[in-house]
Amino acid sequence: MRDFLELAVSATASGCVYALIALAYLLMIRPTGIINFAVGEWAMVGAFAGYLTLSKLNWPYPAGMAAMLGFMLLLGWATERVAVRPLVHTGAPPLAPILALLGMLVVVRESVSIGFGPDPHQVPEPFGFAWQKEYMVGVTLAVFAGAWLFFERTLAGRSFEAVALDRKAAALMGINLPRVTAASFAGGAAVAGLAGILVSPNVSAHYLMGVPLAIQGFTALVIGGVGRVEGALLGGLLLAFAEQLTVRYAPIPAGYAQGVPLLLLMLFLVVRPTGLLRARA
Amino acid sequence: MKRLLSWVLAAVVLSGIAFFMGGYANDVYRKLLLWVALALSYNFLFGISGQVAFSHFSFYGIGAYAVVIFVFQLGLPLPLAVLAAAGLCAVLAAAVAIPSTRLEGFYLALATLAFAQLFVVVLNEGGKVTGGPGGLADYRLPEILGFRLAGPWYTALIVLLVLGTAALLWRLDRSWFGRACRAVRDSPEAAAAMGVDVARTKVIAFTLASTLAGFAGMAYAFVDNTVSPTIFGLENAFLLLFMVIIGGSGSHAGAVIGAVLLYLLPFGLSPLIGHHHALVFGVVMVAAILLQPKGLVGLAGLVRRARA
Repeated sequence: MRDFLELAVSATASGCVYALIALAYLLMIRPTGIINFAVGEWAMVGAFAGYLTLSKLNWPYPAGMAAMLGFMLLLGWATERVAVRPLVHTGAPPLAPILALLGMLVVVRESVSIGFGPDPHQVPEPFGFAWQKEYMVGVTLAVFAGAWLFFERTLAGRSFEAVALDRKAAALMGINLPRVTAASFAGGAAVAGLAGILVSPNVSAHYLMGVPLAIQGFTALVIGGVGRVEGALLGGLLLAFAEQLTVRYAPIPAGYAQGVPLLLLMLFLVVRPTGLLRARA
Repeated sequence: MKRLLSWVLAAVVLSGIAFFMGGYANDVYRKLLLWVALALSYNFLFGISGQVAFSHFSFYGIGAYAVVIFVFQLGLPLPLAVLAAAGLCAVLAAAVAIPSTRLEGFYLALATLAFAQLFVVVLNEGGKVTGGPGGLADYRLPEILGFRLAGPWYTALIVLLVLGTAALLWRLDRSWFGRACRAVRDSPEAAAAMGVDVARTKVIAFTLASTLAGFAGMAYAFVDNTVSPTIFGLENAFLLLFMVIIGGSGSHAGAVIGAVLLYLLPFGLSPLIGHHHALVFGVVMVAAILLQPKGLVGLAGLVRRARA
C-alpha cells in the first residue's frame, strides 16, 4: 500500500508536467489550429533558464522564475512573429507554419547545445527535495485554475474561444486576430517553460529533453481532448499513471514500458481522436 | 527508346564513377546514393501525396534489420529474404496507413512519430533477435551462385536501385495515380468529388513509398555490414524532411538536389562549425518555407524566368 501511495505521488507530479505541456499545445491549437511541436524545446529552454538564473547566477527562486517567464513570453511572441505570422498573411497552406516551427525546434535545440554544451545541468528546487512534488502539483493546479477562469470568465478568454470556433466570424466581430495569435504563442511558451523549470530538478536540464516531453505532452492532450482545458490535466495524469503502473507492476521488461505512451498515443489518435472529454457545445 | 537509352546511359555513368574511387570515396558515394533513393520516395509520400510521416526512416531500418535477420537467423536464401523483407515492410506500412489515413495533417505526423519511436524501443529491447542497443554486426553479403558482389560492383547495384526507384516514381507521378495523389494533397474534398477514392489513394501511396524505403534499407544493411538502433532514430527522419523541403517538395529533381546538398554539406562545413550543421539546416529550412516554399528548384525557376 505504501508502495502504491509513493507511486501515486510521483505519478501525479510527472502527470502535472505532461498536463502543462498539453496546456501549452492547447493554448496554441485552439485559436490557430497549429500543432506546435516545438513546445518540448520551449520546456527545455525553460529548464536552462532555471539553470542559468538559479544555479549559475544564484538568484533567489522567485526572481529566476520571473525572469524565465518573461523570457519565454518574449520567445513565444518572437517565434510567432518570425515563423507563423508571415505564413498566415500570405495564405500559405495550414501545414506550412507547423513545418516552419519544426525547423525552429532544431534551431533552438542546436543553439542551446552550442551555448551550454552536451552535458546535463543541475537545477535547484525552491523548497528542497522533500517538497518538490507538492510544489509541482500546487503550481500546476494554480495554472489550470487560472487558465479555466481566463477562458470561462473573462472577455479576453471568450475572444480566444470565438477565434477557436470560427476565425472569420471572430474577425468580423472586431476581434484582433493577430493579437490573439501572438498572445496564444506567448502564453504557450510561458506555460511550456514553466513545465521545464518544474521538471528540471528531477531530470536535470539537458538539450535533448525536449522531444520526449513534446511527445508525452501531446499524448496527454490527445487522451484528454483539445476541446476543454480540464482535458489536458486529466490526460496528463492518466498518462503518468499508465506509465508508472506498467513500469511497476506489468510483467514486461522496463525498456518496453517506454513504449506505453507511444502505444497510447497511436491508439487514441486512431480510435478516439476527440479525446475523452468532448468540447462543450 | 530514347528515354530508355538515357536511363541506361545514366546507369553506366553513375556506376562507372564508382570504379575510379577509393574505398572511402566508395563508401561515401554509396550512402549518398541511398539518401537520394530515400529522398525520392519520401518526396512521393510527403511532397506529392502530402502526407507528413516520420516513419519513413523507420521503414528503411525495418528493411535493413529484416533482411539481416531473415538471412542470418532464419537461414533464408538471400533472394527469398529480400522478398520476405519487402513483404514485411509492405504489410507493416499498410497496417500503419489504413487506420492513420483518417488522421489529417500533422496528426498523421505525430502518429507516425510515435511509430518511429516505438520501433527504436523494440530494437533496443529485442534481445538476441535485434541485438539490443549494440545492434547486429559481423555478417557479410551472402554469395549468390558462387558470386559475392563487392567493392564498386555493390555500388553499381545501389545505382540500379536508385534509378529503379526514380524511374518507378517518375512514371507513377505522370500516371493517373500520381495525379490522384496530387489532387488528394491539394484538396481531399475536391478529389473525392472527382471520383478519387481518397483513403485508398493515401494508403497505396504510403505503402508503396515505405516499401521503397525498405528496399533502400536492405541495400544499406550490407554497406557498413552493421545495423544498430542509433542509426534509425528521429534525427535522420528530420533530416529527410529537411532534404525534401530545402530541395523543393513535390519535385523529383528537388529531392535529389536536397539529398545531395544536405548529405555533402557537413563534409564541407565541419572544419568551420564542427558538428553543428543541424543548426544551419534548421535555419535554411525555416528560410525556405518563409521565402521560397518550392525550395531550391523553385529558386532556380525564378532565376530562369528572370533571365528570359
